[in-house]
Amino acid sequence: MKVERKIAGNRSSRTGFLLSLPYWAWFAFFMAWPLLFSLVLVFHEWDIYTPMRWVGLGNFVRLFQDDLFWQAILNTLYFLVIHIPLQIGLALLFAVLLNEKIRARGFFRAAYFMPVVVSGIVISLLWQQLFSYENGILNLLLARAGLARIPWLTSPEWAMPSVALMATWKNVGLYIILFLAGLQNIPAWLYEAAGIDGATAWQKFRHITLPMLNPAVIMVLILSTIGGFSLFIEPYVLTGGGPMNRTLSAMLYIYKQAFYFNRMGYAATLGFFFAFIILAVVLVQRKVVEQEALE
Amino acid sequence: MKPLPVKKSPCLHRFWIMLVLSAGVLLVGCESGSRGKAGHAGLVYWPAANAQEIELAGLAAAEWNAAHPDVPVTVQPIPESQSTEEVLLAAVVGKTTPDVCSNIWPGVVGQFVRAGALVALDSFADFDSVAAARLPEGQREVFQYDDGRLYQMPWKSNPIMMEYNVRRLQEAGFTHPPATYSEFIRAGQALTRDLTGDGQPDQWMLYVDINVKWWLRYFDFYTFYLAASGGQTLIKNRQVTFDNRAAVEVFRFFRRCFELGIFPRASFQGDTFLAGQVATHITGPWNIAHVDKFKPAGFEFDYAPVPLPDSAAGPVVTYGDPKNIAIFATCQNPRAAWEFVKFLISRRQDLALLRIASQLPIRRDLLSDSLYMPYFKEYPKMVRFAEQAPRTRGVDSAPELREVFDAISQEFEACCVLGRRTPEEAVQRAAERARQVLR
Repeated sequence: MKVERKIAGNRSSRTGFLLSLPYWAWFAFFMAWPLLFSLVLVFHEWDIYTPMRWVGLGNFVRLFQDDLFWQAILNTLYFLVIHIPLQIGLALLFAVLLNEKIRARGFFRAAYFMPVVVSGIVISLLWQQLFSYENGILNLLLARAGLARIPWLTSPEWAMPSVALMATWKNVGLYIILFLAGLQNIPAWLYEAAGIDGATAWQKFRHITLPMLNPAVIMVLILSTIGGFSLFIEPYVLTGGGPMNRTLSAMLYIYKQAFYFNRMGYAATLGFFFAFIILAVVLVQRKVVEQEALE
Repeated sequence: MKPLPVKKSPCLHRFWIMLVLSAGVLLVGCESGSRGKAGHAGLVYWPAANAQEIELAGLAAAEWNAAHPDVPVTVQPIPESQSTEEVLLAAVVGKTTPDVCSNIWPGVVGQFVRAGALVALDSFADFDSVAAARLPEGQREVFQYDDGRLYQMPWKSNPIMMEYNVRRLQEAGFTHPPATYSEFIRAGQALTRDLTGDGQPDQWMLYVDINVKWWLRYFDFYTFYLAASGGQTLIKNRQVTFDNRAAVEVFRFFRRCFELGIFPRASFQGDTFLAGQVATHITGPWNIAHVDKFKPAGFEFDYAPVPLPDSAAGPVVTYGDPKNIAIFATCQNPRAAWEFVKFLISRRQDLALLRIASQLPIRRDLLSDSLYMPYFKEYPKMVRFAEQAPRTRGVDSAPELREVFDAISQEFEACCVLGRRTPEEAVQRAAERARQVLR
């Protein structure tokens, strides 16, 4: 009996193994192999069609001398400085509003989430029309109101805030959902007790909602930081990185090095370096936010 | 005790069926792929994918096939992509290159040579005599690779010139096309107008694409720089050579034109020259047929060299936009491919190139050969381009050329379009970036 069970068990685990094979194949081909290959590329110069050339740490030397890469990093940080507070603030505001008993609440929740599931390319193309200097809706409205037109995408000063505005509009729905989930987990009796003690709505929000939402805030902060660092589609479609490289994000620069200029080794080096920057920022961020929560 | 019956899972059955089917599909695919290559007795020829060159290639192949049934040529237009270079690069990597291709941009030849993808044409015994009979003086050296060998057969060039609206310039008081920067600016100031009364100009001197795509600079900065510098290209022996007065003058000229508003800071769709929105257009001979076909009644146009800085003199050198023919190393029968290349550059085929594609063969006797005289008599505007053809330059064959042009394009935008940097600063920054790239 035991032997029979063992045989049946072996067959069952073999079936399980075979059924998980597609995942392992996917993981091997699309995750493990590219990662290992990129690591090899970091120490090589390779333009795809000529053999790889060992350059040791040459790509790192180039990276530290590459002004444009550092400008791209600064641009990305500038984007984050605008995007993250805007996104968290708006997401929290809408989450609190949508947590109230308002009419057509389900519709609004779905409507705010809609841009998250629509392709980034489609949204960027739509916003390109909205931002158009000559005949974009935004400028037509400004002109109708007697105000000056804004060079949303053609001025070096306005371009990145415009990109951040669009990215916030696209992603805010996801963070509204996360905050909503957090809000619904706050026990109602806390508000009741605070109400009995005479707390105002603001005091309830400041001393109950915000502290209780801390795990959600950390998650939103980390997710939007990683998402912000991955800024690519928006500048790729809206501005191509211009004007004057002011919307050139680090990801767009890595893409250009790899697929415009065929510098595969250098692009891999930038990719790894950038991944470490993201890791460091997220670790610091987590530490700071958790520390504040404990205090 | 009877063993427990072990029922085979239907999932497992399906898994094996799918696996076998997938393997079968893969095997069939691989087999047909390899048969397609190994079993090919003839030549595969990739021309550019525009209608005129496809027609030209089709006629050439038909004529060749009738005379050489043992080495039939199959024409396959270069597969659709953003650029020919992208497709050829993928083909080089995948070793699926054609035997012969006639849309080779000299800027990419160096990379193909380093990849071992091209046949050195001077390895054929009769190459020297063929080249000597065809090429204008100095052209062989222009297309030589760093190792002194020739991997491309100079085939055609499209000198970039200034197309102008004759009447519009006459209205501005010009009976001849502007030849210097100050003449050009003067004409532009006289021409730029608000025709609808909305306070915004609707008519300008020239439309310059303000997008920063690197290759767009061939048709503004690079063309004007070659003219201003007397034909000096951007890089020599991997050293930047464009941080000079000529480049600064070109940047200053474009900046001034944008500042004065005689170039619009806007993106337009459609043909602004034919629509009468601009009086000039920087273009090549391919545009003659287009303008002739779509011009409104009474529209008069002609061609002239691009203007020079006021201090410059001498004949104008311009960008030649050359495209050449190469044989790829994957070719099983290079000897036959070379014969086909010679056929493509024969006198009669060159006449077909003129007639069908309106493009100029790189040929020393183009204006004196009696075979082409009737053509030039019939199409006098092509004479302007044929006269300009000997004074053209291509591009440097450095693999980093795109990045160098990208650096120039970024500074062109900052200085000329947005007016945020002085011409001196912009040229210096572009040169510094180019040095960084070439290091």
